[in-house]
This record gives sequence, C-alpha cells and structure tokens, in this order.
Amino acid sequence: MNQIIDISTGKLLLAFVFIIAAQASSLFYHLGLHRDITIGALRTFAQLFLMGYVLTYILGSDNFLLTVAIFAVMVISAMSIIKGRVKEKQIAYILPTFLTMLVTYFATAVFVSGMIVGTTPWWEPRYFIPTGGMVIGNSMSAIAIALERLFGELRRQREVVEMKLALGADYREASSDVFRNAVTAGMIPSINAMMGVGLVFIPGMMSGQILSGTDPLIAIRYQIVVMFMLVGSTAVTSLIVMLIIRRRCFGVGEELLLSPR
Amino acid sequence: MNPPLLEIRNLSFTYEGASFPVFERLDLVVGSGEFILIKGTSGTGKSTLLRLVCRLNKPQSGTILFRGRDITLIPPAELRSSISYVAQVPQLVDAPVGENLLLPFAFRVNRKKALPRHEDLRAMLDEFYLDGVTLEQSALKLSAGQKQRLAIMRSILQEPEMMLLDEPTSALDPESAAMVFSITERLNTSRKMTIMTVTHSDYRPETLKGVMYRLENRTLKLMPE
Repeated sequence: MNQIIDISTGKLLLAFVFIIAAQASSLFYHLGLHRDITIGALRTFAQLFLMGYVLTYILGSDNFLLTVAIFAVMVISAMSIIKGRVKEKQIAYILPTFLTMLVTYFATAVFVSGMIVGTTPWWEPRYFIPTGGMVIGNSMSAIAIALERLFGELRRQREVVEMKLALGADYREASSDVFRNAVTAGMIPSINAMMGVGLVFIPGMMSGQILSGTDPLIAIRYQIVVMFMLVGSTAVTSLIVMLIIRRRCFGVGEELLLSPR
Repeated sequence: MNPPLLEIRNLSFTYEGASFPVFERLDLVVGSGEFILIKGTSGTGKSTLLRLVCRLNKPQSGTILFRGRDITLIPPAELRSSISYVAQVPQLVDAPVGENLLLPFAFRVNRKKALPRHEDLRAMLDEFYLDGVTLEQSALKLSAGQKQRLAIMRSILQEPEMMLLDEPTSALDPESAAMVFSITERLNTSRKMTIMTVTHSDYRPETLKGVMYRLENRTLKLMPE
C-alpha cells in the first residue's frame, strides 16, 4: 500500500493534455491567454525540475547556510513576482516589503519547523524548506492583492482622503477605510481556504502526504498546522507591510503623495 | 506686537515635470479677520497656493508662518483643524447630512471639542440657505450648490481660525454662487472669520471691504479697490 507509483517521462508528457485543453479554450474564445499559459507551463516544468534537483542536493547535504540561502532566494523570487504585479513607480515599497517578508516568514518557518513539528536541528531542510515555501507562496498573493488595492484605492479616492485630511484627520484616519479594504482583500483567500478545507478540496500538501503513503490522520494534523500557519503569517505580514507602505504614501506633512495616473 | 495670522515669504512652486515655476518668490500677509480674494486664470496656481497653506501639497521653497509659527513645525492635523480648506468639488461621504456635518468630530484632533447639538445644526442649515434639508436625508442626493454650502458649513463647525475656499462657485449656477458668496461674506463680517478664497470669476465682495489680488506672471499683484 505504501509503495509510491512513479510517473514515467511519457506519462508526465501526457499531462500536457491539460495545457492543450487550456490553450484550445483560450484560442476558441479569444481570451488572449495562450502566451501566458505557454510561459506558465514551461516555467512550472522547468522551475519544479530545478527545485527537485536542488532539494535532492540540499536534503542530502544537511547544510545550514545552504538551507537559509535557498529560503532567501525563495523570498527574493516572491518579491520579484509581487513587483511584476503591483507596478507602482511613485512609492518605494520594495525594500520594506522584502525585509518584512524575510523576517516574518523566517520566524514562522522556525516556529513551525522547530517548535510545532519539533525537528532537530530546527532548520532540518526536509521540513524547513517546504514550510517556508508554503508560507511564502500563500502570503505573496495576499501582499500583492493588498498592495495593489492600497495604491489603487488611494488614487481613486484621493479627493475623499484629502477632504478628511482637510477636516483635521491624520493620515491613518483619512485612509482607514482604504487600509481596511486592502488588508481584508488580501486575507479573504486564506480565510476562504480555511472554510473549504476538507469539504470543498483536499489541500496539496495533505494530498501529497497521502499519495506518498502517510496515514491520513497524521496528514490532517500537518494540514491543520499549515492552514493556521498560513492564515497567521499572511495576516501578520500583510498588516506590517500595509502599515509601513501606507505611511510611505503620505509625506512629512501627511499630504497624500500618490498623484492620479 | 502680534504676528499676522498668516505670512507667506518667498514661496516658489514648480509642478513635477514642468520647466517653469507656477509662482516664484511669492509674498503675502493676511491679518486676522481679513477677507482675501485671489483672482487669476486657470493654471496660475491659485489652488496650489491654498493647498500649500494647509500642507495638502508639499512645499518646495519659501516659508509659510501661521501665527508666527512655521507651518512645517505645526502637527498637520492641528494645522488643518485651524486652517480649514474647502475643495473646488465638495466631497461628502455616502451618509446622512447630519453624519457628514459631524465627520470632523470623529477625528482625534477635534474629539475634545463640544459636539454641536442637533437643534443648533438645524438652525445653521437655515443660515446656510439649506432650509428644507434635513439632517437625516442622504447628503449625496443634494444639488451641487447645496453640497458646496454643506461642505462650508461642515468646515465652520470645527471652528477654524481661517478658511481657504478653492473656487467655491466654479460649478454652480449664478443663484447658487450668489448664495455661497453671501455666506462667506457673512462669515467674515459676523463671525470675524478670516477667509482666503480663490476664483477666476468676476466676483467682488458686496457687503464688505476685501483685499483683492491677481495671481499672474508667477506672483501676486494687489488689485485696485
């Protein structure tokens, strides 16, 4: 029962049927997604293969510096994806966002890997890297959504924000609605995932564990830890990033710096 | 000797990407209780001047003193509670008229101020030619003129020392514009409110003696009475 069925190269290529189906849908309905689907599929293929070889090497080497370096590369990659999506030129948000992500994700991965799972050493790559990957992947989307919403709403609601400033509001009071909406928008997917887990879908990590022969009762424990970890780290990271970046949207005189596009 | 209420020294401002400053080494002194009218065609920087006084725009060079204090040393919320700015297009929130009027009191800087009573607000609505408007009705359903008068009334409620009115009648019909000017003149004469208003219209104060300037060629010129 515990024997893992390997996927041969031929069968792996057979999975491209799904990509062909997506491409056909895009072409048939003129969705204009064919380029993104192709690049996405090739990147998935290449990145995961690369990661597979890297992980095989790291898991075998038990090297602390290498583990942390891989973790840092993952955060840098996440930041570069956020940068590609947010496209904000006026406000310098990249460095503070990156540093916040690095610190909070690292703390989360250390806590989960070292304290909840209790690995020895705490940076045991088999646990630390996947844990970090899940935290980074999940939180990255939340931060991108929240940042996009923050910049967009502050621009769209510029007159209202300035009206509040003119009536004596400080920058926090003037932007409180925008701030709340931005953080909430980023958090909703994680909260929805908690609502639907086990009912609507079986999460990837749990599926992976079950497929590799782990007892489902052990897999669910891991999954509960992961779900809580994702919600908590996403909430804390988004909130810290938003607090820092919102302040940067206002000048020393608490004037709104974002000009209309 | 008391310093003037507002003093602008050597103020220059250039829009981002522009090759010439919109105004340069501009000076202005406003005494307490004065009514200042600044005229000028579009794009001469009238609105920018008002926005710099209440720090909604970032100053570049020059000094603005309020009661002798550099405005950059005054906490922004405190400054804007003392110098109230009403924008060209009045902004109201999607809420009843009463809630809009009390909005400034939700902000920390105004929390210690006495909250106006509803009967006082109703009496003030009449004073601002808003008779027939109730505190319970939706503010967003008011006409453009009513919104502008409501926005001015809201600014008055926090009892600022000075009001900055940015083209308050530009989007209004002549009748509504006359009402707004009548209100501003009354605020100056009866409440001794210092008012600085900018306009590109031909308006001249009727019931009081204002000081009129024209903003052209990057500087302010005193206009003959």
